[in-house]
Amino acid sequence: MAGAPARWDLEADVVSIGSGLGGLCAAIGAHDLGASCVVLEKAGKLGGLSGFGGGEVFVPANDAMKALGLEDTLEEGRRYYEFIAAGYASEPHQKKLLDTMHEAVRYFGAKAGLRWKACQGLPDYYYPLAPGSKASGRYLSVELFDGKSLGEWQHRTWLTPIMPPGALHEEMYAWGGLAKVTTWDYELLGKRIAEDLRSFGPGMMAAFVKAAVIDREIPAFVETPVRALVADASGAVIGVRAERGGRDFFVRARKGVVLAVGGYDHNKEMACMFEEMPDWNGVFPAYLDGDHLVMGPELGAAIASVPPTNLALFYGYQIPGEEVEGRPFWRSSWEGGVPHAIWVNKTGERFCDESFYKEYQPKLRLWDGKKQEQPNTDVFLIFDGNYRERYPLGSFMPGQELPEGMVIVANTPRELAQRLEIDPDRFEKTLARFNANAEQGEDPDFGRGSMPWAIRLVGDLDYKNPLLGPLNKPPYHAVRLRPVSVGINSHGLKWDLDARVLHVRGHPIPGLYAVGNSAALLDIGGGYQSGTSNSRAITWGWVAGRHAASRA
Amino acid sequence: MPEAEYSTTARLPVPVIWSYVREMDNWARFLRGYQSHEKHGERDSLWVLKGDVGMVTRTVKFRVHVDEWGEPSRVCFTLKGVNEPMEGGGEFRLEPWTDASAAATPVPKPELGWFARLVRWLYRLFAGRTERADAGSGADVSRLTFSLRVKPGGPMGPMVDALMKPLMLPVAEELADRIMAELEKQHAKQTT
Repeated sequence: MAGAPARWDLEADVVSIGSGLGGLCAAIGAHDLGASCVVLEKAGKLGGLSGFGGGEVFVPANDAMKALGLEDTLEEGRRYYEFIAAGYASEPHQKKLLDTMHEAVRYFGAKAGLRWKACQGLPDYYYPLAPGSKASGRYLSVELFDGKSLGEWQHRTWLTPIMPPGALHEEMYAWGGLAKVTTWDYELLGKRIAEDLRSFGPGMMAAFVKAAVIDREIPAFVETPVRALVADASGAVIGVRAERGGRDFFVRARKGVVLAVGGYDHNKEMACMFEEMPDWNGVFPAYLDGDHLVMGPELGAAIASVPPTNLALFYGYQIPGEEVEGRPFWRSSWEGGVPHAIWVNKTGERFCDESFYKEYQPKLRLWDGKKQEQPNTDVFLIFDGNYRERYPLGSFMPGQELPEGMVIVANTPRELAQRLEIDPDRFEKTLARFNANAEQGEDPDFGRGSMPWAIRLVGDLDYKNPLLGPLNKPPYHAVRLRPVSVGINSHGLKWDLDARVLHVRGHPIPGLYAVGNSAALLDIGGGYQSGTSNSRAITWGWVAGRHAASRA
Repeated sequence: MPEAEYSTTARLPVPVIWSYVREMDNWARFLRGYQSHEKHGERDSLWVLKGDVGMVTRTVKFRVHVDEWGEPSRVCFTLKGVNEPMEGGGEFRLEPWTDASAAATPVPKPELGWFARLVRWLYRLFAGRTERADAGSGADVSRLTFSLRVKPGGPMGPMVDALMKPLMLPVAEELADRIMAELEKQHAKQTT
């Protein structure tokens, strides 16, 4: 905690720390009630994690799906959220989230120019297993956004290497899906890149940046990390000590400070301790340092958590020489779920449905209590010659030489197993069983191919079995995989129904709010569904900003 | 196809510039993203560069073949990606740049779109590009022109093309300017 300075460098009513979805929604919400706002961003670009991701906003019974004639009700949405929570959500938090998210999303559509559209054909994760689940329409995304309208911010907003630039959901599916990138319309994508037409997370966040920083002229400072909160003698937060150009930069917040700095993927100590994993690798740029879990507790803020077991953890790999923002880039891997590919652990056996991360994630964390080890944290992606003829590895297309030092290649499964130092007999048996079932379009061991979401997102939509195909054509390939995270963490600050951060004694800390991934997942509970991070960031950001603006 | 051509002048004789440009060891480090190069005889070499494709920086290997050693005024080369589906080529051109030649051949102003202009500006701002004054024209002035073209192949070619296009001119400018700046520095030392 920092003491109040003799002189503030800048004053505003509400200060958003972080320029992702939560921070900008708070700033817009506060501004529109007459408050003056400032956004402070650690990175050199605006948009935060939200600008780096898929940009889906999960809203049951949303207006856009209704306009398409897709049926849904609030009650069905509630039942689905309840299923995801698995008993770990705070009922009042979840209720308020569901009661408020439509109003918040409509607000940003009407007042901030967000052009929402429903993603057609993308099912809920757990459709049709979960009560209240739907086959299509609950994910909102934005129409293509013209990056040129950002003026001086055009190249200081995040683009993303993890989603195809300029493509829309329905186009991806029409072109054959993520696995069939060989048949996509790259002429069209090239034109959109040249015109800077943005989609996915970059498109959504560009729209929010325009609404906040350009249309409302809310000052935003990049490369300005906040180092500490400033509180008065009563413990109320009255500002922040940031760092700008190597010097202290004190910003007074007359009404509130909103912590919206994301999670802690890049704070190895926090990640390993809170996520209960020996190894933790972040897909997103290295700004998710857990600042909220340092600055908040300095003022007595409580930390809350949900079980880390079933949030959003994947397997991934690095391509030698590939970097983003000057650091090696972790790609999350979906290749294991594509036909002619599997994952095996060091015993040479499959252990999960490779196409559906909600199924494999708890198995990734499995403990072997006798050996005192986690057998599935170090696994191999295996694929054959059929795969290489049809599908890419990362951005390496069929026929393209694979990177040195990344891929192990052998002419037979046995030789491959020996090179991987796994039991060749067991590996051959694993392949034989998988192949025999795959030929029949079945996976009786793990049910691969049974989840519509996985088929739609991971599968080859032009193939007879979009997620299944035997590995029977040499050469055989292996890539070592490691766990990778996308910033959805199990621990965050504890907060109340106005998004105010709670003290360990139970009372709100005056003037301090936490939203987005900085706020513990009290509203979501023990599970995760793509797009819920964004819908809760929009909802609680808006709630926090409006509440702060209304403070006396 | 992404391509760029850039010319700059210096108050140096053509043979001085030629002898420097002819030996790639002299200027290889001035190429943006340079990691290493290996010479394989008089005409062939293998280059390793780091290059940006959108958000991602990739390490790319190129085989370069000199098609023409046109001493003392022209080197033409072709290039082919080893680990990426790319091919292209380029040339260095050297010529005396007298007032008469300047008058006869106005220096072409590249037609740049807004995006290319912005990227060039950002490169200049952040990449530590060598700032030097063009020598104009005159009896003791030479002009160096560097041109480069790269065509990404494979299914993603049109998309990679769009991502690379704005980066080409800054690369050409930077190499030519840094070569000339180094030669001017060496020449200034010799004359003092």
